[in-house]
Amino acid sequence: MMMPPALRKFGLTAHVTSSVGWFGSVAGFLALAVSGLTSRDAQVVRAAYLAMNLVGWSVIVPLSLASLLTGLVQSLGTPWGLFRHYWVVIKLLITVFATTLLLVHMQPVGHLARVVATTTLASGELAGLRIQLVADAGAALVALLVAATLSVYKPRGLTQYGRRRQRDERKVG
Amino acid sequence: MMISPDDDTSSQNSGDPPSTSVNESTPRWVKVFGIIALVLVLVVVAIHLTGGGFHGHASQ
Repeated sequence: MMMPPALRKFGLTAHVTSSVGWFGSVAGFLALAVSGLTSRDAQVVRAAYLAMNLVGWSVIVPLSLASLLTGLVQSLGTPWGLFRHYWVVIKLLITVFATTLLLVHMQPVGHLARVVATTTLASGELAGLRIQLVADAGAALVALLVAATLSVYKPRGLTQYGRRRQRDERKVG
Repeated sequence: MMISPDDDTSSQNSGDPPSTSVNESTPRWVKVFGIIALVLVLVVVAIHLTGGGFHGHASQ
């Protein structure tokens, strides 16, 4: 079912703001992760991991889900469709994959937040986990940047399903 | 005459997909994208299998 133009613009606005907001909040999350890993000030380290847990659950997770949901609405409610164009399919895969990994990796963030809330982290303590958070945030930024690039450039290419739909629509027309 | 994305101003203005498909084969950029994604997945799996990566999500 195609959305009327006004609703389509509203949906697009919601999708763009949630997606770009997701990207920006992950950039902030990365800065906190780097700070938590590299700072020698125990208070800064504590603040960083507490803030990461707070920002993660209250900002990043809601924005990622909003981006996914509004993206689904935008694709299904417009002629682009969800599986007709390669750029849409790849964006969907990136978004689903990134959202899933985000939810999984919020567990170690919560663990670190609980640790720093009650104790002081030694310099190399939980180093692997802390490095992983930096790497995960960096990878997420790259993935979201790829998704944003696909959204703007919309490189051409119909999937097999898209070609079949196009042929069917031409026969009807 | 083939309609290129640059010529198809009507679709660019309306935000709708172009009305004409250029060809029916999988675009090269999709194949390159797929290869890169596959390589990245294999690298990540290899790192985890060899234990050379991080120490998982639990505390050490």
